[in-house]
Amino acid sequence: MANPEPDSNAEDGTTRDDLVQRLELMEQMIAEGRQTTMRCGWIFVLWGLVDLAGMGWQQRPHHTQWAWPICLGVGVLATVAGLALRRRPPSRPRATQCRDVQAVWSMMGLAMIIYVFTAQFTHFAWQYGYISALLIIIGLAHAISAVILRWPVQGVVAAIWWAGAVAILVCNSYRATDLIFLIEMCFGMIAFGLYVMLLERNSGVKGKLV
Amino acid sequence: MTSPRQDNGTTRDDLVQRLELMETMIAEGRKSTARFGWIFVMWGIIYFVAMGWVVLLPFKQWAWPVCVSIGILVGIVRVRHNRVDGVGKNQRSRSIEAVWQAMCIAIILYVIAAGVSGHGNQSAYYAAVFFFVGLAHGISARILRWRAQGLVAFIWWGCGAALFFFKTQNEVVAIFLAAAFFGMILFGLYVMRLERKRAAALVQHHA
Repeated sequence: MANPEPDSNAEDGTTRDDLVQRLELMEQMIAEGRQTTMRCGWIFVLWGLVDLAGMGWQQRPHHTQWAWPICLGVGVLATVAGLALRRRPPSRPRATQCRDVQAVWSMMGLAMIIYVFTAQFTHFAWQYGYISALLIIIGLAHAISAVILRWPVQGVVAAIWWAGAVAILVCNSYRATDLIFLIEMCFGMIAFGLYVMLLERNSGVKGKLV
Repeated sequence: MTSPRQDNGTTRDDLVQRLELMETMIAEGRKSTARFGWIFVMWGIIYFVAMGWVVLLPFKQWAWPVCVSIGILVGIVRVRHNRVDGVGKNQRSRSIEAVWQAMCIAIILYVIAAGVSGHGNQSAYYAAVFFFVGLAHGISARILRWRAQGLVAFIWWGCGAALFFFKTQNEVVAIFLAAAFFGMILFGLYVMRLERKRAAALVQHHA
């Protein structure tokens, strides 16, 4: 536009063009933030499968007490290896939303590691409060990410995790807990992961066509 | 300076502008946290009052519901008042707001569900609440690149982990009060001091 001056300058001297540019930048940042989540769709699928494997192993009659530590260890190693393989070239700057979303998930991972490790070490992992808290923490990360990226689908996923956490406490039975855990892993992890992977593939195809 | 184009079409000027914008956003994000320093102090004091009521006064079962309700009401009124004042927002401060709002919803859901279902006396429950608060501090610290707040996150997580090891009522109360003092009141006073310094510097600058 050729009229940067009085057209719409506010008290602070901001022109209409400035505002439009800022809005475009914000939209671009939100889109980049969502793409970051899409690129990490495989992590959701991976952790869904890891948790299901741990749960399945635990259901076996003579399971070892190392079932969960082994599964979680394999999950952490696979995640680190996958992230190292898919690392982006450092030349491209990341949007604010990308960094914020990354901060959310990295801190969620750190909190989860400390919480799970301490509970397993002190033999409190059988308590309903523990399992419910895990679901609340994952839901919390989804909820924050959904607000930052203005992504209703992820908001629904957060609600699914929180509903599961509440249901575990209210149902108060190990059978119900196993069932809720299974549902959460299928919908909150694997289905959401596949959905964002599909979105990434679609955006990649569109990018190639353009 | 000239701005040669790079491989991906981003010019040097673009990068510099973007960096400056990000630095401004981080500074504004910290300012917005500093403006809410009083909330940390208030909640720290509320925890102390509620604990004191439970230990020293009658009608113990009403201590937490009454104190927490007062805290929520005061918080809502003050935050609305700040909004009316027209405090500016940017992406970073919105992200921080999202973190604390989601944390509040998560804690309320968890505490109510655990209370109603009778799980409110488990070690995992107490520890989880500490971990939620620590997580909010941790995310906020990472977004704002703020080491002091990162330290506060580790205080909450450390106290949360300690709750798995120390189980007697006195030990739980001591850990709780330590977390409330260092993780809430001291941090709140620290950010309030930062905010006061910033305001004084602003006045000097205008003068």
